[in-house]
Amino acid sequence: MIPTLYACVHAAEFPAQALLRLRTDLRLQPVVVLEGKPPQEIVCSLNRLAKRRGLVCGVTRHDAEETGGIHVLARSAEVESSAASVLLEYVSRFSPRIEVASSNLSYSCVLDIAGTERLFGPSKELAERLHSSLADSGFRTSIAVSQNYHAALMKAHASRGINLIPTGEEAGALADLPVSALDLSEDHLETFVLWGIATLGELAALPEVELVMRFGSDARIWHELSRGIATHVFRPFETALRLEETYEFEDPVEQMDSLLFIGTRMIECLSHRAANHMLSISSLSIHMRLEDRSAHQLTIRPALPTTDRKFLLKLLQLELAAHPPQSAVVALTISAEPGMSRKMQLGLFAPQTPEPSRLDVTIARLKALVGEDRVGSAVLDDSHRPDSFHIESFSIDGKPFALQATSPHIALRRIRPAMPVRVVIHGSKPAAFRMEESSFQIKEAYGPWRTSGCWWSTSQWDAEEWDVLAMNASGESRACLLLRDCLRNEWRLEAYYD
Amino acid sequence: MPSAAAVRFEIEHALEHRFPSALTPSPQSIQEVIQTGIQEVDDRLGGIPVGAISELIGPSSSGRTTLAMSIAAQRTMSEQVCAWVDVDDAFDPQSAASNGVDLSRLLWVRCKNRPAQSRARANRSRPGPWARLDQALRATDLLLQSGGFAVIILDLGDISPEHGRRIPLATWFRFRQATDQARSSLVVLNKESYAQSSAALVLECAKNRAVISGGTVLSGIAFETDQQRQRFAPKVVSMRKPPRSTWTASPQWAAEKQE
Repeated sequence: MIPTLYACVHAAEFPAQALLRLRTDLRLQPVVVLEGKPPQEIVCSLNRLAKRRGLVCGVTRHDAEETGGIHVLARSAEVESSAASVLLEYVSRFSPRIEVASSNLSYSCVLDIAGTERLFGPSKELAERLHSSLADSGFRTSIAVSQNYHAALMKAHASRGINLIPTGEEAGALADLPVSALDLSEDHLETFVLWGIATLGELAALPEVELVMRFGSDARIWHELSRGIATHVFRPFETALRLEETYEFEDPVEQMDSLLFIGTRMIECLSHRAANHMLSISSLSIHMRLEDRSAHQLTIRPALPTTDRKFLLKLLQLELAAHPPQSAVVALTISAEPGMSRKMQLGLFAPQTPEPSRLDVTIARLKALVGEDRVGSAVLDDSHRPDSFHIESFSIDGKPFALQATSPHIALRRIRPAMPVRVVIHGSKPAAFRMEESSFQIKEAYGPWRTSGCWWSTSQWDAEEWDVLAMNASGESRACLLLRDCLRNEWRLEAYYD
Repeated sequence: MPSAAAVRFEIEHALEHRFPSALTPSPQSIQEVIQTGIQEVDDRLGGIPVGAISELIGPSSSGRTTLAMSIAAQRTMSEQVCAWVDVDDAFDPQSAASNGVDLSRLLWVRCKNRPAQSRARANRSRPGPWARLDQALRATDLLLQSGGFAVIILDLGDISPEHGRRIPLATWFRFRQATDQARSSLVVLNKESYAQSSAALVLECAKNRAVISGGTVLSGIAFETDQQRQRFAPKVVSMRKPPRSTWTASPQWAAEKQE
């Protein structure tokens, strides 16, 4: 069995502590913290000096102010949240495994300190260092160390300073604690008061079976808790990973190099942080606040999640070159979306394909060269309209291709946009056509092939296609696809057969 | 009397400082080839060389594009990746699909003339197809450097020879080196050969005749291919003019009918 050892840190009156941590001028004065909407505000937390004045939680603002010399502060969820994150940051220096067990008015966390002896010495030494570290940061805490999770938690809640519970002596250490240390309902507490049971020691002395017969299965847990033998499944607290870096420039930046200089460092930090969590970066969002109060947003999405700094920087550089900001940049924020690292089994006999990260850079460069929408893979539309397709971004998905080898079919070389031509008709067939400066005599004409569609919309088409074998004056022969737009009664040269 | 081997050894030894192994034939390397997918052409050539430049030359309607699409179809069927660098934006995806090309494995780069930013710049910019040609050559360079593309088709099919001839020979030489290192096949569609000595294979394409059915329907075009240059062919001196490969391609509607 793996030995366990827990250290519980308990910060009582946390709303007051969170506010007084940054107000050193009020530390030696009685302070109460109020919550609720005026005029029904009540004291929810107070410091030791205020307690000495006879104040308790639940009194109204009016009563607190009548006491005299009391400083009244309003409760702030933001301050408490930031104080909690600071406390967590301090305790995380002693153990990475922390479970938060805080309530509304106090903050508690339990550290799994098993195996830290070689780093921090015996548990007493660790507890003292932990206590002193938190005191330096402005928190008054109580610490309890025990082999049992619940014993450490209850002892820290109910006592002050540092308490070490030796192994096997949990029941004795908890015996003096009041029954209210257990999470009991008012009815159960009242019953125990009627029975004359005031401490956990007295509860532990009761026979378990009879207790369960009277209170149900919960009583078994109370009995175990009071004896310090209750088990617990430790659930370590994990802070949400937020990969974001922000930098505000002292002067607006117009030069791309200066922007990339900062961007390099930010990407380096982000990839390093992602790698620390065994993660990669699946996308980068770049948000630029511009001098003219507008914003410029870019997104980089590599084919596979990566932590390669140079590769990400190259993509950033290409994206900035393709979409530069319209004015000087005032602030730069780069946020990364974490993804799982790439896992790929390469085979000796696998077909040769481009390396994904290099392909990303190549496609980004090609887009910068010829245009964003002019690089990719063509996808045919579900339509009979001639030359109907759209472009999608190119990626290698590794799906097997279903089609089998076919005999060759004459390919078309499209003319985009189609060239208007003047056609001479002879006997209902085209006999010659003229385009720009050259004229062609049609030797053979095959057709017409009639196509039409979308009659219900503005994108309606109705055309006659003619396959013609034509020859110009210099003897050059071509197989052409002529199209007559029946809606506009226009002739166009659509394509060549090649 | 000394044997022939001894005489050869003596001559080679004497000429060793000027011509090493003067009388020993140089070993012939076996060139890796890929099939074009057209039986008649494969029977004649064996295939398109890997890691080299191949030029398909000929006028319009000579079957160059059909042959190039057939090559791309063969590679994409074997789950490899191809690229089509299109100078004139003439590539027809429907034709490619009917020829069996897996369009998801074909990277299509469509070159275009960029609009001039200002009048002064417009005056400075080169007229004609130079901008598109420059984009195509740069794109091909990038694709070759990227590696992993089994076939890269550089479509200069509609570029006039007076423009094509002005592509520097250094560019073709660089492409030749890059294809060799990347183990890619660079297939160039031209009106005439521009790569010259950098091309390992030059195939001249021509239209033979139209195939008509019923007098009203163009049911196919017969094409001819003639081998103009093949660097890796076995060095056998033929006393006869080599025969041309003749093959026929059917129109797209025939493919739809088969499906």
